[in-house]
Amino acid sequence: MGEADRGHVASYNYSRFDDYVAAGGDLADEAAFRASPRAGQRAEDFTLPRLGDGAQVRLSELWRSTPLVMEFGSFT
Amino acid sequence: MFVYTREAHPGENVPCHDSFERKLACARLLREDAGIGREILVDDLAGTVHRAYGLMPDMTWVIDRGGRVAYKANWTSAPNVEAFLDRFLAARGQHPAGAAAVMYETQQIEFRHTDRKRFTEHLLRNGSRAVREFEKAQELWARRSAT
Repeated sequence: MGEADRGHVASYNYSRFDDYVAAGGDLADEAAFRASPRAGQRAEDFTLPRLGDGAQVRLSELWRSTPLVMEFGSFT
Repeated sequence: MFVYTREAHPGENVPCHDSFERKLACARLLREDAGIGREILVDDLAGTVHRAYGLMPDMTWVIDRGGRVAYKANWTSAPNVEAFLDRFLAARGQHPAGAAAVMYETQQIEFRHTDRKRFTEHLLRNGSRAVREFEKAQELWARRSAT
């Protein structure tokens, strides 16, 4: 991983929530949500590992024949 | 399906992710703690999928079969998602004879009610640092709204 990639990863995985808010990170996230695909547009396809067995799961396989509900979140 | 992202309120017990192995361990903790029985997919360390879908900490999207966005909300409300799906699937699947199902788009504001005491207790499980940092963030938000 190069220096730029490390910075990218570190800024995404902030260590202090108050510093993140002070730097306007929460406002940038809200803007990112508004800029993301609108209803009616095509969703972006990705492949992610499944917790448990590590199987590579392609999102488009999950929404191929039935609607897919995707919830995003973390422990906190 | 659930996509595990970065930790929104890192603390002493569940810190920010500095490796994919740590991210996987935190995802396992979430699965056990919250009893999530659904499939959990783990985003990469840079948050590639989270970024593409809008970076909010607790959001829900519904993608219709074939890959079209049907619903997006920057906060998860299970009753809201269920009500949407009931309406969406019923309207798409059945329409009066001679009528066509024509798609239209809505955008609306919703309200949620947060139980501060319960939220603070939840944060505390992640360590007192997570609570302190959220309190400081609240001060920043208050200052922002005053200007």
